[in-house]
Amino acid sequence: MLALSPATRDGCDGGSEFLDTTCGFSINPEDDEFPEFADHGDLLDIIDFDDLFGVAGDMLPDLEIDPEILAGDFSDHMNASSTVTTASDKTDSQGETNKGVSEKGHEEVVSKRDDTATESVTYDGDGERDRKRKYPSSASSKNNEGKRKVKVDWTPELHRRFVEAVEQLGVDKAVPSRILELMGVHCLTRHNVASHLQKYRSHRKHLLAREAEAANWTRKRHIYGVETGGNINGRNKNGWLAPAPTIGFPPPPPVAVAPPPVHHHHFRPLHVWGHPTVDQSVMPHVWPKHLPPPSNAMHNPPFWVSDSPYWHPIHNGTTPYLPTVATRFRAPPVAGIPQALPPHHTVYKPDNGFGGARPPVDLHPSKESVDAAIGDVLARPWLPLPLGLKPPAVDGVMSELHRHGVSEVPPTASCA
Amino acid sequence: MADSSSASYIHMVQHMIEKCLIFHMSKEECVEALSKHANITPVITSTVWKELEKENKEFFKAYEETQSNQEQMSEEETNQMIQKIISDSSKESDD
Repeated sequence: MLALSPATRDGCDGGSEFLDTTCGFSINPEDDEFPEFADHGDLLDIIDFDDLFGVAGDMLPDLEIDPEILAGDFSDHMNASSTVTTASDKTDSQGETNKGVSEKGHEEVVSKRDDTATESVTYDGDGERDRKRKYPSSASSKNNEGKRKVKVDWTPELHRRFVEAVEQLGVDKAVPSRILELMGVHCLTRHNVASHLQKYRSHRKHLLAREAEAANWTRKRHIYGVETGGNINGRNKNGWLAPAPTIGFPPPPPVAVAPPPVHHHHFRPLHVWGHPTVDQSVMPHVWPKHLPPPSNAMHNPPFWVSDSPYWHPIHNGTTPYLPTVATRFRAPPVAGIPQALPPHHTVYKPDNGFGGARPPVDLHPSKESVDAAIGDVLARPWLPLPLGLKPPAVDGVMSELHRHGVSEVPPTASCA
Repeated sequence: MADSSSASYIHMVQHMIEKCLIFHMSKEECVEALSKHANITPVITSTVWKELEKENKEFFKAYEETQSNQEQMSEEETNQMIQKIISDSSKESDD
């Protein structure tokens, strides 16, 4: 069986060595499937390199580049050899010696040529990485022609420029060629931009869908907020997180905020895929414009909505039911909240730890939703931060922790 | 290197804290939640919270205000609302 291991590919140069088992090629002569290796010297012709190195769409174009490089190398070699010859000619006193020297020189050149050829073949086998490493300039110059799909590294900076360009053009109108122009980056092809744009759009849709869901939920809270007695001075009606005054977040009603601004204010530069943290330069850009409602966390509209009837009684101690409210919410069973309505004052406290002092008007989260939110982070830590707060310096945190006696992060000793 | 794993751990804790902030939880509630649901040592949660607070003073200041606002106003509102609804319902039942 023809057993091929990548490591040995490099070592094999020249047809005469193919049958040498040191190459790692073990050819079973009894096997009928093999072509007859009549003349070892022709092995290079017989053996289909595609089978050996794998045919990828971008393999073939390599051959177009290599001759250029080889030519480049050759010129060096040629110069070397010509120098040798001229040198030997100059010092010519005995013809034979010179011939010997020049022949050697030529042999060197020839063997070098062979090596280069083999090397290039080997590099093909080893994949793009070597090519790029060895011949970076030619690789990048080929990008523009789109001959090879070089993997583009969408750094946060690059992505930021991309988003800026898209924003300028309008997401739906953004055309890759124009985006490229606006970005002014030379190492990108239109194709790169097009595929990135596609991903970006689908990611946005996903986010928008989630936020629409959150908006619906918010609206329900809003309706609820109406029944809680109207406007709350300076506070977002729904107990919403409203660092709005300081940040410029649009004040309530949230209903109005959610759908239309979703397209404008909410054009938040999306997280760069594959990058664990959100680009810091993006952050100031993001949250002043729009403090996102809890998209991931708040997917329990029924819960929230039905939660509310329960908290009234706690403070008042009077009728457990508010008829209008109760009609709406009596039906849905509330997960995580004891269903018994008459013992109304027992409902909240154990679950949410209010202790009587703290009004649950903010519709305190259920354990399930908190658990789900936290679980989401554990499962997919690479997701963008929901609020995108400026992260603290790791060193600062670590030194603080050391002061408190925590030496390892994450701690190996189990806690809680 | 220990640094990168610490950094990513801290980042994860920050992420979780942010989720709690969305839920409008207090620092204590957050520490408890992270400890319970994700086994994060309370001291780590509170340290990261404090550091976040330092880096995002304005945000946390407003956050605190919102928290306290809720506590003050909601009681009154609750009472008002309940009174209102009770009176409404009594009117309705009269009909």
